[in-house]
Amino acid sequence: MTLTQPPVPQEAVASPGDPTRASAAPPPRPRRAHLAGAAFLAPAVALVVLLLVVPFAFTIYRSFFDDNGFTRSWVGLDNYTAMFADPAFGQSVLNTFFWVVGTLLLPVGLGLAIAVGTWKLKLGAVARFAVILPYAISGSATAVVWTFMLSTDGGLDTLLRLLGLDPLVSQWLLQWPLNTVMMIIATTWQATGACVILFLVGLQSIPPSTLEAAQLDGAVTFPQLRPMTIVVVGISIVGSLKVFDQVLLLTNGGPGTASETLALTMYRETFTLSRYGSGAAVAVFLTVVVVAASYAYLRRQLRPANG
Amino acid sequence: MPHPISGGPSMTRRTALALGGAGLLTATLAACARGTDTRPSAPGTVTLNSDNPTWGPGYDAASDVLAARIGYRITSRSIASVANYNQIIRMTAQTNSTTDLIKWTNGYRLQDIARADILTDLNEVWDDAIGRGWVDPAQRASFTYEGKAYGVPLYKSYYAVFYSKRAFAENGIDVPTTFDDLMSAAQTLKDAGITPFLAPGATTWESEIWFMQLLASLDPDYYAAVTTNQASYVDDPAREAMGLWSTMYSDGFFSAPDVTSNDLPGLVSEGRFGMMLYGTWFANTLLASGLTDDDIGFFRVPPHASSTAPAVIVESGSLSVPVKAHRRDAAVDVARNWLATDVQEAWVGFLGDTSPNPAALPKSDLVKDLAAGIAAEGPTELIRYWEASPTPLVEGNVQDLGSFMVTPSESHGESTLRSMEARARTEWKIWDAA
Repeated sequence: MTLTQPPVPQEAVASPGDPTRASAAPPPRPRRAHLAGAAFLAPAVALVVLLLVVPFAFTIYRSFFDDNGFTRSWVGLDNYTAMFADPAFGQSVLNTFFWVVGTLLLPVGLGLAIAVGTWKLKLGAVARFAVILPYAISGSATAVVWTFMLSTDGGLDTLLRLLGLDPLVSQWLLQWPLNTVMMIIATTWQATGACVILFLVGLQSIPPSTLEAAQLDGAVTFPQLRPMTIVVVGISIVGSLKVFDQVLLLTNGGPGTASETLALTMYRETFTLSRYGSGAAVAVFLTVVVVAASYAYLRRQLRPANG
Repeated sequence: MPHPISGGPSMTRRTALALGGAGLLTATLAACARGTDTRPSAPGTVTLNSDNPTWGPGYDAASDVLAARIGYRITSRSIASVANYNQIIRMTAQTNSTTDLIKWTNGYRLQDIARADILTDLNEVWDDAIGRGWVDPAQRASFTYEGKAYGVPLYKSYYAVFYSKRAFAENGIDVPTTFDDLMSAAQTLKDAGITPFLAPGATTWESEIWFMQLLASLDPDYYAAVTTNQASYVDDPAREAMGLWSTMYSDGFFSAPDVTSNDLPGLVSEGRFGMMLYGTWFANTLLASGLTDDDIGFFRVPPHASSTAPAVIVESGSLSVPVKAHRRDAAVDVARNWLATDVQEAWVGFLGDTSPNPAALPKSDLVKDLAAGIAAEGPTELIRYWEASPTPLVEGNVQDLGSFMVTPSESHGESTLRSMEARARTEWKIWDAA
């Protein structure tokens, strides 16, 4: 796999006995080149350190304090023990898990199916355009549309009554777990387009000869799509772990805390309750989960096929 | 011809970029270092930060009067998101980036930031305003922490029932004067195919409205006690209130809980609006949407039993002066004159709401009648639930109440109260320890 095996510089593979090389050590590069390299890297490194590493370190530090924005006192791991003891936190973890599974099944699964199913069709472009279009709408605008659709006696209920399907009329956003399922569907409507685009890129990078051979043999092209699938699934896992805007706008995490995800719990503790230490503890937990999930997944998937 | 700068080092593209980049960086850093809020505002003005972007013209109207009285005008700015606003005030009020005046809430939310010593003591301003009869002295307690007042009332609203005059007239309903009248009015509307009460709150702060009103109607003393940790949420009055609320739901008196108050004008035009219990500040929105005093009326929810003393829920905002205000003396002077009758007349003339100063009345008959009724009867004024207890307790309980509104069964009412009581035990301990 190319992602873990970057192009190897020629000089590194040259054998020690190579007559063109006096020694294994690379020739000393001029100091000026080092400086120039450092200068080019500096802005990016500085920004990452300033905007990501420092705030993250500060968040970890803050999670050990009882902090109301004015005063701060050391409480050790109290914020973490309180967090794990809170039933609302358990609910939040469960909902976040639903989101991860749901977005893997729906936007990613549908995206793959639509890309593979339509890319050779004559009118496939039209079908794909229809699916991709919602991707151009911002998340908050999508939420407004879906609030209209899913509120009690809203668009969906009216439609169901018109069709004589009265028994199906529900409080879509007010009953758990229905509300979480509906929000995942709303997100699917918007996010599938992005997956379709990525899978199409993946399909186009497959050599035509391979595709023809596959078609002749009646074989599927999924193995060739594996690199792109890894990327899409990776993005999807991270995106669903930190899902925030749709839930905030559609249910505000409610009723009660029934549909809260980890990002909303973090927001509520920090900005609604002004408990910066507790919010920081949730943020640290969320970060650990996101990093661990991404690392575990990518490590497994990006292992070179030839061992 | 020799190159003009050939004698010195030549200007390469790299040097030009480096210089330009350095210049840009310097300018950016300089801009970050001093914002407009870190300097005093223009002479003759004080700055005010608020979370209500539509109130600018009201501050301008009040400023015209203030300028004549004390030579200062208010320059207002606003941050529309309440959550962002809270954070910004918490951060800036500790620094010299603060505005001279801030809009805040009263009650425990005010106490919460007053504890951090970031607000100016306005006791003297209160003494003065009470002496002049500009404010009801009973309001002072909700602006006070440990004997010092940290704000004056920016506005004052009541919770009352907005009702459709047309729906009442068409169905022969008189304005209810007893709780039983209110219930039979609701039943009549329901029989006529109109949902009696528009009641938002499934996932919003509005879930507190009927809870606090039913307690105020059943037992005002208990409401005051339970919100200040003198009573338990599982005591009889609370259980009675939840039972009553649940019965009203099973009688079909309430809308779905995920409606919004903004649905009201549309329902009026469709002839499907009956009543909504809400803050009188909402009158301004209704009048702006084209409704008039002919469409909408107000009445207070009557006590549940004739033996119960009448009570009304009051919502008030606070006008506070941060200690680090640039023009602190001028800001205190504005606070001192804010409650003056002529300033308040200009202010409520814009708001269309009642005033903390009982002598200042808005133009709309809608609110004027309500204010006159309150002045005549003198009901006990109870602080709104949102400000009546420590913030985390209120926020959590309001979520519980929203959840109850979604599934308003009697047993859910009981479990909701148990959950609220458990939270009260935890949060009061935290509040008292801080």
